[in-house]
Amino acid sequence: MSKDMKFLIVDDFSTMRRIIKNLLNDLGYANVTEADDGSTALPMLKSGNFDFLITDWNMPGMPGLELLKAVRADPKLAKLPVLMLTAEAKREQIIEAAQAGVNGYVIKPFTAVTLKEKIDKILEQRANAA
Amino acid sequence: MTTSISSLREDYGPIVAALSDALAAGDEALFKAQLDALVQRREADLFKELRKLTCDLQSALERFRVDSRLVDLAEKEVPNAKHRLDHVLKLTDEAAHRTMDLVEECRPLADRTAKQAGEIMESWRLFRARKIEVKEFQKLVLQMDEFLAAARSDMEKVRGNLAEVVLAQGYQDLSGQIIRGVMKLVDELEHTLVGLVRLSKTEGEIREADHPNRGFGPVVPGVDHGAAVSGQQDVDSLLAGLGV
Repeated sequence: MSKDMKFLIVDDFSTMRRIIKNLLNDLGYANVTEADDGSTALPMLKSGNFDFLITDWNMPGMPGLELLKAVRADPKLAKLPVLMLTAEAKREQIIEAAQAGVNGYVIKPFTAVTLKEKIDKILEQRANAA
Repeated sequence: MTTSISSLREDYGPIVAALSDALAAGDEALFKAQLDALVQRREADLFKELRKLTCDLQSALERFRVDSRLVDLAEKEVPNAKHRLDHVLKLTDEAAHRTMDLVEECRPLADRTAKQAGEIMESWRLFRARKIEVKEFQKLVLQMDEFLAAARSDMEKVRGNLAEVVLAQGYQDLSGQIIRGVMKLVDELEHTLVGLVRLSKTEGEIREADHPNRGFGPVVPGVDHGAAVSGQQDVDSLLAGLGV
């Protein structure tokens, strides 16, 4: 995958979206779009040709886990790489996210290095699977 | 419940008398009618008592529900909320200091770049005007070497610090989520107190517990216990175990 990849960041806090967007730009990913919860993100995903989804869990409206399940249930989106970036740190939640088909899970507060590592790992696995 | 014999006599006397009259007269139909009337009379009293008991029980339960929720709020959740707000204070404090530290680190680097550029400019002007002495030119070349190397490394450091400054703003998300949780608690406390004052039918106001799908928010040290991961490494090993 190239640096033109299209990212969607879903988080209800605009500051956090800005942070993630900044970090992605630093990593060379310039094509970044934002949404503030699952229910605004889902229609964007369905019509937007996104290559990568980074989502928070705890959001008003549709939470991240439901968004993940909706993505996996949609035949056109089912293979979309999804990275969960959230403060939710209960073991059962991480297991639940894994069972729902998440590709990576980063807990807040996080570092730029961790974000890069997880994105690289997911893209690597994609490349190997292709 | 004590009913004096006189009120019993008053309530049941006429029916009992009619009953015994009917029996003495051998009037079967009248006897049965009076007996039915007696039974109905007794049932009506019982139902009245039962209704009163039910009402008492209901209001006792209601009081207990409000009381126990209030005790729970006062004993557990309010102190929890204080810890949560303390944690917010800590997060904002750390973020502010981290940001200022990073900015302070950048300042001398920016100063040095500006100062060195200023030192070179005069010699550079002479060089451009072809009026520079050989000795001064040699000095300019050395200055230039030093400046380029320093500017490059200093600006790389500044760039890195700027990224860190942006990252430090993440506290707003975490503290915001915690504050929202406390606001919800304050809201509930208000409702419970209002319910206690009114102690009327408040069934409609009982709130459903949040669905776990919505999430619990950030872990607050000293408040949240149980099966939370301790950090990213913990997450990674957990996920590795699940084959992700």
